[in-house]
Amino acid sequence: MSSPRDVVIVEGIRTPFAKAGTALKNIHAKELGRASLKELLQKTDVDPNIIDEVIIGNTGTPSDAVNISRVIALNAGLPLSVSAHSVHRNCASAMESISTGYDKIKAGIADVVIAGGTESMSDMPLMFQRSFAKKFGEFAAAKTFGKKLSALKKIKLADLKPRISILEGLTDPFVGINMGQTAEVLAKEFHLTRKEQDEFALRSHQKAVQAQKNGRLAQEIAPFFIPPDFKDIVENDVGPRDGQSLEQLAKLKPFFDKKFGTVTPGNSCPITDGAAMVLMMSREKAQSLGYKPIVSIRSYAYRGLEPERMGLGPAYSTPLALKRAGLNLKDMGLIELNEAFAAQVLACIKAFESDSFAKEKLGLDKAVGEVDFEKLNVNGGAIALGHPVGATGTRLIVTLMKEMQLRNVQFGLATLCIGGGQGGAMILEKEA
Amino acid sequence: MNLENSLRLKDNDGIKILELDLEGEKVNKLSKEVLIRLSEIFSDLEKSKTTKALVILSKKPKIFIAGADIEEIKALKTPDACSTAAAQGQMIVSMPEDLPFPVIAAINGACLGGGCELSLACDYRIASDDPSTKIGLPETQLGIIPGFGGCVRLPRVIGIQAALDIILAGKSVPAKKAYKLGLVDECVPATALEEYAISYAKKIVESGGKKRRKKFQPKGVMAKMMEGPLKSVVFSQAKKMLLKQTRGHYPAPEKAIEVIQKTYGMSNRAKALQIEAKGFGEVAATEISKNLINLFYMMEAVKKQTGVADKSVKPLPVHKMAVLGAGTMGGGIAQLGADKGFEVRMKDIHNKAIALGYHHARDIWEKALKRKKITKYELEQKMDRISGGTTYDGFKQTDVVIEAIVEDLEIKKKVLAETYKNCRPDVILATNTSSLSVNDMSVALEKPENFVGMHFFNPVHKMPLVEVVRGAKTSDVATATIFDLCKKMGKTPVVMKDGPGFLVNRLLLPYLNEAVYLLEERYSIEDIDKAYLNFGMPMGPFHLLDEIGIDVAVKVAKIFHKAFGERAAPSKVMVGVADTGRLGKKNKKGFYIYDDKGKKGTVDVSVYKDLGLSHPSKKLDAKVGIDRGIFAMINEAALAFLEDHIVETPQDVDMSMIMGTGFPPFRGGLLRYADSIGSEKIVDSLEEFAVKFGTRFKPSNPLKQMAKTHRKFY
Repeated sequence: MSSPRDVVIVEGIRTPFAKAGTALKNIHAKELGRASLKELLQKTDVDPNIIDEVIIGNTGTPSDAVNISRVIALNAGLPLSVSAHSVHRNCASAMESISTGYDKIKAGIADVVIAGGTESMSDMPLMFQRSFAKKFGEFAAAKTFGKKLSALKKIKLADLKPRISILEGLTDPFVGINMGQTAEVLAKEFHLTRKEQDEFALRSHQKAVQAQKNGRLAQEIAPFFIPPDFKDIVENDVGPRDGQSLEQLAKLKPFFDKKFGTVTPGNSCPITDGAAMVLMMSREKAQSLGYKPIVSIRSYAYRGLEPERMGLGPAYSTPLALKRAGLNLKDMGLIELNEAFAAQVLACIKAFESDSFAKEKLGLDKAVGEVDFEKLNVNGGAIALGHPVGATGTRLIVTLMKEMQLRNVQFGLATLCIGGGQGGAMILEKEA
Repeated sequence: MNLENSLRLKDNDGIKILELDLEGEKVNKLSKEVLIRLSEIFSDLEKSKTTKALVILSKKPKIFIAGADIEEIKALKTPDACSTAAAQGQMIVSMPEDLPFPVIAAINGACLGGGCELSLACDYRIASDDPSTKIGLPETQLGIIPGFGGCVRLPRVIGIQAALDIILAGKSVPAKKAYKLGLVDECVPATALEEYAISYAKKIVESGGKKRRKKFQPKGVMAKMMEGPLKSVVFSQAKKMLLKQTRGHYPAPEKAIEVIQKTYGMSNRAKALQIEAKGFGEVAATEISKNLINLFYMMEAVKKQTGVADKSVKPLPVHKMAVLGAGTMGGGIAQLGADKGFEVRMKDIHNKAIALGYHHARDIWEKALKRKKITKYELEQKMDRISGGTTYDGFKQTDVVIEAIVEDLEIKKKVLAETYKNCRPDVILATNTSSLSVNDMSVALEKPENFVGMHFFNPVHKMPLVEVVRGAKTSDVATATIFDLCKKMGKTPVVMKDGPGFLVNRLLLPYLNEAVYLLEERYSIEDIDKAYLNFGMPMGPFHLLDEIGIDVAVKVAKIFHKAFGERAAPSKVMVGVADTGRLGKKNKKGFYIYDDKGKKGTVDVSVYKDLGLSHPSKKLDAKVGIDRGIFAMINEAALAFLEDHIVETPQDVDMSMIMGTGFPPFRGGLLRYADSIGSEKIVDSLEEFAVKFGTRFKPSNPLKQMAKTHRKFY
């Protein structure tokens, strides 16, 4: 039953995703966001004056663009009157931006929303320790040369040891283990072998490389022109490896548990730079403007779990989203399940299929359902494409909706695990 | 105008406030009647016992005093009349200096020329920080010198060097800069100006109410030397630099140096002012000054014009434009549009081309950033207004599309038709073609009425002219919209009809052609270029050919030959140059040698041999050389203007030539120059040239007609 307040997505677009330290390493997150938002405006030819709100996810929160959404909106040339706010739900920040937009449109507060996410993981800063900040403050406040000198003397070498924000960001602050270690927890609990994980990673690369070659990924990518001299143009994702082999993957050493571990850089997603944006509207607004939306949002859900098992998030959030949509897992013609770690994806699938998991953890009668690998991450996932934390949520939606349109699939699921112990899921329905 | 209401005197507890607000005028200016009224007010105040101080301010927004009345200056014919007028003005403008109480100028908005000179005669100057506040002496731009005491007082207030900097270039400075220079005593928020000026006056009164004559105090040994023992070096250096730029064609700034040098430090005010008034008379009565004033009026007129005769036609609003082709021209247009605040979408066939467009634009702004003309934030904002791609994405939001793709009629027709399909039906399409016909292109379009020629010159950000070409079917609205857009992009538009080469290139080509004929006749490239530089052209014809691109010139020459027949026949050599692989500056191989960075060196002497010419042997008679090129242009101009009606007025021709080719402004433009020589004389010379150098010189019918009836273009 369609309603005028249904929330539809008119169009989506993203920058290329590039492994941190490569093609986009010098580009600020606000610039990645601006470029993708600007292209979205072109692609949709939307009148900038009718946009009610810009909502952008970002986890790094650059200190020179703290409400990065507003910075991006203005830089992209949106009118001063368009309001903008940033959202943070860690790895699901860019799904949070869409679900927030959904809420606003559903509630009748907004009719036209641009939602998305951006992240430069190359650009995560090194920080000084508090002990240094305190002593530096004393030095700066000292009035005489003598006092300055004695303040300076107090600074010890150990005070200068930097805090590495990206490592801190990827470490759970509640239980104190890093994201890779949470994947190890799942690998062990779900008895996932190294080979299983490597094979999954290999498939991710193979599918992504194919989608690059046949132009499928290009359909959702706006080329990025590298300032200031524009000699380089990034047209494709920098991540998928053509000719990747199982042997090569097998050679890599476990990184997070060097002795008993199975999670390697090869079967994990790389840290990445990129941004993605969608244009959302109420159905009635889209109709009145003559847009032909690609999908509508049927439902979404977030749910929490143990931080040390955060990778299992999709197994918690998906059943809730399905319930809200009144649908079953088998109804999903396509699934985008974010590949933070191969172990975590495989664990989620096992959990979906497990009656006991359904009973004990979800309070359901029976298993959520089986996952058809032919419908899962058909263009590869984050292991190949990368996972710019604050942008991935929107990337999943863009990739999913474009694929639903191509394959004429009625329902699709996008779901992802969230650092800190949560899962997010969103269910889309294809429009006309 | 009611002068009582225009210059109002108010009293605030003994502090008198003189409010300037000329009735029925947009700006305050020091016309004769205003000056006389001022003198009455000053005389009365001098006698008044109760006045403790005087504050002079303007009630006009964005204007303090724009200057003297240019119309009055233009009407003065003889040096004596000019000197007398200046002396009268000087007397009145100097009065604040002699009032028995302190006088404070509270400046908000333009404070130029006579306005600035009046403020210099005040004891104190306070400026508002409003962006419209600009203080300076633009006189030399009109071929005159500051004649109300500016030459005498400005150097005293801010020092010789800063004063020369302002007066010689005819510059004005914003409030902050004026404060730094010591030209004003305070820079205050615009909203607080009046209040502050009054309290400032009260403070002076409380501390004794003394008069003061500000004198520049140089800081540091070097500055002291420059203002003292070494000042003659400063003057001679300034003169040398000036002559390098003007080649002696602009007497006003030279005169300004002379007057400043003579009067600097002089204790006898009357004598100093007399020297200034005399100097003013000597330059103000010249033809050069009259020409420059005419040009000023032409520029002002364009500001008021809409590009169409029907005044009810209003231009359509433009927020976003698209540019087809991101090459040198397309990228340049995109840069300019974004610079002036428009959203710009570029489209080209490859992303590589788009990248070049971005690069081109950023390069220009990076240079502006280096010169501190813009901030890094402004650079990013401007840059962010441009986007680009290989599809028509974003075209539905554009109000104007400017085509700047390859000069090929069939390709242009195809692309324009395709573009229209991807735009809103009310979009206005423009072509930046330089050599193709707007009418020929328009046949491919569903709505030829919304199609206009918009011919920018290279480099886009520097060249001020845009030829706005009306096709046979182009509507008034489309013309007015493009005309308005040109102005908003900071350009000078001239509307014209379609025709080969429109106006500027049509007139320029015979001139370039003639230079090559001279080369063929064994005159040297150096001599020919130098002759035209001395005439006042910004660069010689061969240097210009290198800039335009020799291949482009040859292509256009062939088109013109076809269109105009014998009179446009290019020299054999012209056709030959391109075959030697010389394209000009763009491939660093032309008539001149270019280094890796594209910097021009000396003449590439191998060009003579390449063209099968022996080394130049003949000595050029500069006058004949110049007459051949310039008269050829005049001959063609007579046809374009009087017979083909490409443009409507002689002003259009002169404006186009000055703005489009840098034709020497002091000569007033091509047709003013022609009028100064006389049509009979030009026709005689052309007939003589036709016999001596070739039938291409045969005077055109309209020119012959003019000669017969002793008519002028103006």
